[in-house]
This record gives sequence, C-alpha cells and structure tokens, in this order.
Amino acid sequence: MPEPVILLENVRKSFAMPGGERVDVLDVPGFVLARGEQAALEGTSGSGKSTLLLVISGIMRPDAGRVVVAGTDMTRLDEGRRDRLRADTLGLVFQQFNLLPGFTALENVLVAMSFASGRPDRARATSLLEAVGLSQRLHHKPAELSIGQQQRVAVARALANRPQVILADEPTASIDAAHQQQVVDLLTTTCSEHGVALLVVTHDPGVARQFPRRLRLEDFNRAGRS
Amino acid sequence: MTLFGIAWRSIRQRLLTSGLTALSLALGVALVVATLVIGGLVRDAFASGSGLGYNLIVGAKGSPLQLVLNSVYLVSKPIENISWSFYQEFLPAAARSDGQAGRYAGSVKTAVPICMGDYFKSFRVVGTSAAYFDRLTVGDGRPFAFSAGRNFRDDEFFGGVLGSAVATRLGLSVGDHFAPTHGADDGLEHDPFIVMGILARTDTPVDRGVYVNMEGFYLQEGHAKPVEADAAGHDHAPPQAEVRATTSEAGDAHPTPLPFAQREVTAILVETAAPAGMPAELLAMGLKTTINEGRDGQAAEPIREIRTLLDLFVRPLELLLLLVTTLVVIVSAIGILVSMVGSALERTRDVAVMRALGARRSHVLTAVLLEAVILAVGGGLAGWLLGHGIVAAIGPLITTNAGVSAGFFSAAPAGELLLVPLLVGLAVLAALLPALAAYRTDVAKWL
Repeated sequence: MPEPVILLENVRKSFAMPGGERVDVLDVPGFVLARGEQAALEGTSGSGKSTLLLVISGIMRPDAGRVVVAGTDMTRLDEGRRDRLRADTLGLVFQQFNLLPGFTALENVLVAMSFASGRPDRARATSLLEAVGLSQRLHHKPAELSIGQQQRVAVARALANRPQVILADEPTASIDAAHQQQVVDLLTTTCSEHGVALLVVTHDPGVARQFPRRLRLEDFNRAGRS
Repeated sequence: MTLFGIAWRSIRQRLLTSGLTALSLALGVALVVATLVIGGLVRDAFASGSGLGYNLIVGAKGSPLQLVLNSVYLVSKPIENISWSFYQEFLPAAARSDGQAGRYAGSVKTAVPICMGDYFKSFRVVGTSAAYFDRLTVGDGRPFAFSAGRNFRDDEFFGGVLGSAVATRLGLSVGDHFAPTHGADDGLEHDPFIVMGILARTDTPVDRGVYVNMEGFYLQEGHAKPVEADAAGHDHAPPQAEVRATTSEAGDAHPTPLPFAQREVTAILVETAAPAGMPAELLAMGLKTTINEGRDGQAAEPIREIRTLLDLFVRPLELLLLLVTTLVVIVSAIGILVSMVGSALERTRDVAVMRALGARRSHVLTAVLLEAVILAVGGGLAGWLLGHGIVAAIGPLITTNAGVSAGFFSAAPAGELLLVPLLVGLAVLAALLPALAAYRTDVAKWL
C-alpha cells in the first residue's frame, strides 16, 4: 500500500455559536491520501470541506485527533512549526486565487519560497512560471493578468517549495466554464509531472468526475449526521 | 524574497500614502535639524564674540547687556558716551599727554576705545584706534589677519578696515572709498574713508563691522562734543591731541585732530592685567567693582552677560522651538500610525494569504514594523538633508547677520545624531498597533 501523505485519525472540530452552543463541523474517524494520489472531495455547502482543508494545512487546530502530514503529526507541533511544515510540504490553491496584488507573478512565487526552509530560488520560480505558460508574464501584477493566467500563477506558487501535496479549495468556483477545464487540466497535469498528491475540494460533480478518486465528505464525516 | 523586500514592496504598493507619510516625517525632521543647527550657530555666534581678547567692557551707566550687545555684537543702540578723561584713567603714563598714569592703569593691560553711532549701508561703523587689530585677538589668542591690505595706522585719519562679511556683501576692495552716515543708514553722509584692509573671516561679529580711524571719526559733523563755557563766558582752551595726521594713502590733507575736551568714547574694551601671583579673574572682578561703584561709568563682563542672555532668552526660546518641532515629529509619527493602520486594514487579506503560505506570525509582525522603519529612516534622512539644505540656503543671511559661517555641513549639537534612531523608535512604537493586528490576523476568516 502506498505511503500516506495525509492521514487523519479521529479528527474532531467544533465551533462555538454566538448563543454559546457548540456545533460539530468535523468528526472524521479516518482519512488517507496516498503519496502522488489525486482525489476530488465533494460536499454540500457548509459540510465542512474548507474546515477540513484548514485542519489538514495546520492553519486550524482540531479539537481532537491526529493530523499527520508527510509523516509529521501536526497536532503535536506548535503554531510556528506548523507554519514551517505547511510552507515546506503543502501547496495551497485558493478559490479566489489570492495572489498578492502588489507583487508581480514572479514575486508571488518568490514570496511563498521565503517562508520555507530553503532560500528563495529565482531560477526555479521563473522555471515554474514558464512551465505553466507564463514566460511572458513574469513581471506582470495580478491585475494585469487574465483569470486563467492568475490561476496559473497560483498553481506555480503552490509548487514553489516542492510540496508533497497540493490542497485546492474550490479552484474552479469563481471562473467560467471555459476556464474550469483548463484549471483542472493544469492542476492534474502539473501534479502528475511533479509527482505531487492533489486533493481538490469541489461542489461541482463535473469537476469531481475527472479525478480517479472521488470522495464525498458526508461519507466519512460523522458530524452533522442526524 | 526577504522580509525587507516584502515591506518595501508594500510601501511601493501604496506609494502615494507612504510618500506623503515620509514627506511629513521629513518636514518634521528638517524643522528639528534646522532649529538645532541654527540654535547652535546662534550660541556659537555669542560664544565667539565673548572671547575677543578683552574681558571687560567699560561704558556709560545703564544696561550692561545693552553695552555688551552694542560693543561686541554690533547690535542694539549705544547707551551713552563716556568722557575722554574717564577713558584716560585706563591709560599708562606713556600714553597720556600729562605723563601721569591713569587711576586704573595698573590693572589694565590693554584699553581700546570705540566710538559708535554711524552706519555704512546697514553695517555699524566703529571708530577706534589701530590697537583694535594690533592688540586684541580673534579669540584663542589668535591675532587678526587680513585677507587683503593692512590695518590703518593711527596717523592715517581716514583709513578704514572692513570685516569680511561687509567686504563680500558690498563688493568693496582695498583702495575703495566709503562714506559712513550719521546715526542711521540713511543719515547725513560724512567724509569718505579709504579701505586700507579687509579682515580675513573670523566667524565673529567683527566680520560685520566697518572700522574707521577714530581720529577721522571725531572730525565728522556731529561727533565733537560742544565746548563748555565757564561763568565768565570763556571757552576753556582744550589741550590739543598729540596725534598728527601725515600725508598718506588714507588722505592727503593734514587735518587738525579734535581737541581732547571735545572727545567722548562709546566704550572701552579692556584686557585686564595678569600680575604674577594673582588670578586675572580676581583683578578683573576688583576693577569691575571699583568702576561700578564710581559715577563715571560701568564695567560689564561680556562672557557673564552673554551667559545670562543665553540662559534667560536664547535657551528657553531654543527649547520652545525644539518642543514645537518635536511635536511636529510626534505628529508625523502619528501619521505613520495612521498610514500603517490603513495599510494593515487594506492588507489583512494579504497577511492572511502570506500566513497560509507558511509565514509565521513573527514574519508578518516584522514585515509591518520594517515598513515603518523604512518610512522613518527614509523620511528621517530626507529630513536631515532638507534641514541642512535649509541652513545652507539661509547660510549667507546668517553669516551676514550673525557673523558665523553657516553652510550645509554646519554641525548641530550631538542631539541631532539621536534624531533618526529616535524617529525609528517612535515609528516602531506607532507601527506596533497595526503590527499586532497583522500578528493576530485570523487566517481562516480571510481565506
């Protein structure tokens, strides 16, 4: 069996509501994503998909359970080490792309490199952008790029620190149908080329169908089941 | 990309706001620097004038400060004149026509008379003897030096010497003629004097003076004291002055000197003697007390008067200016706070993204503080340059009016060195709030 790059065991997360009551959002007995595996995670709105990504990426700490990323139990690390582990092993692609508006395409990739263990590598950043077809747009700011080009920058940035897995949160939600397929192709192809595992959160069945593994959060998240 | 690079990029992203913030800082710092430098120059100007080789000034009774300001700094108005006979009391036997030493001669090493009240253009004219430049000093014992020509001789009645600032400002050279005016710069024009020499720059009030031979000065209209008639209506025959004019480049006539009885002097610059085994200060103090107890005039110590002036007026004024300008800098620092808060609010999402990419809280905190430091250092250095630029720009005015050289590199007191670090500290303090906001950014909320 391939080595897991993400392993969740008995992960639970709840939030306090304004009235004081707590609402369980995650109750995941087990979840595994293998090294190099590509999977789509489907779920209805409010089912906890984004929370799951935040917990896996170490941005949010679970109330209970283990979250093992690239062999390291994140729940045992303090915040600073979780930040470093996230920079070193995870690539994030956001729904709104979330490029830094004041930085050029190249600088957006270099910024991601500056928080990881290695030194920012300008040549690698350039090569990543060239690989996603942006060799002519290295010094353009996000506002000067098309939606598709911005998404390519976001993918190049996610790959900046040679991650072991890329987590993409609704990467096609805010773009038109014509671009959706480009984004899916870009992510799957690039991750395959770099041997990086990919977990794409989507509510779009059309997108989910294109992945070899389809998961429905409701199937393994016991929270919210009545 | 380093944190510095990230901070710099953030500044460039908000170029207008950041630029205005740095500009307000620069203006505040420029004001402080200019105030410090000019304050320092004013102090130097007073300090330089208080050490011109004499330690007492004797003049008419009245304000000792006025006496010093008028005699040394060539500002304010003369109090009154003192009698020629009183002046004679400071001279040794050899210098007096009656062959008897004056009452105070034993305590005096040098006594140089000055007569004031005339102007040339806006500059004060000082009638004096050749001893002014032969026996007094620039300070620190250095003798006066001439950049052109030489001192006038006592027998060159219409010889004059110009301070360097006067010569530069009026474009006069050795051999030129100039005619002082009586009582004011637009008063009655006197006979012309000839420029015999131009002094090298001294950075003292002397640079602003026009010095003429007092023998020529006395011969001008309105300068002779009216002769008193006795009860019988006879004029007292005044003893004739011993100085005889000779034919020279300073005048080809042989004017008759003004009789002693018709002479007065405005002040006497006195260097007290320093007899062996007795502190010079003690002798000066004794002489001062003796003179002040008498009815003929008063003696003032320039150093003491200037110290009083500095303590009572200059320093408080300087402190007030410094306080105002410091407030300007603090307001500028608050400007940084406003700018940084605005920046932090605008960039909350950016901070959240950076945190999601792996930036630690300390990274974003440092980046925000670095932004403030860059603004403070940039604004501070620009302000420092601007402040010295202001001093350089008004330097000629200061040199002309205060007699001290003021240029771009005029040094301010040591406090100036602390200005930029102080500003950085203030900026960091001001940026702490937005930096902490960045530090506490809820990543999950903003993604």
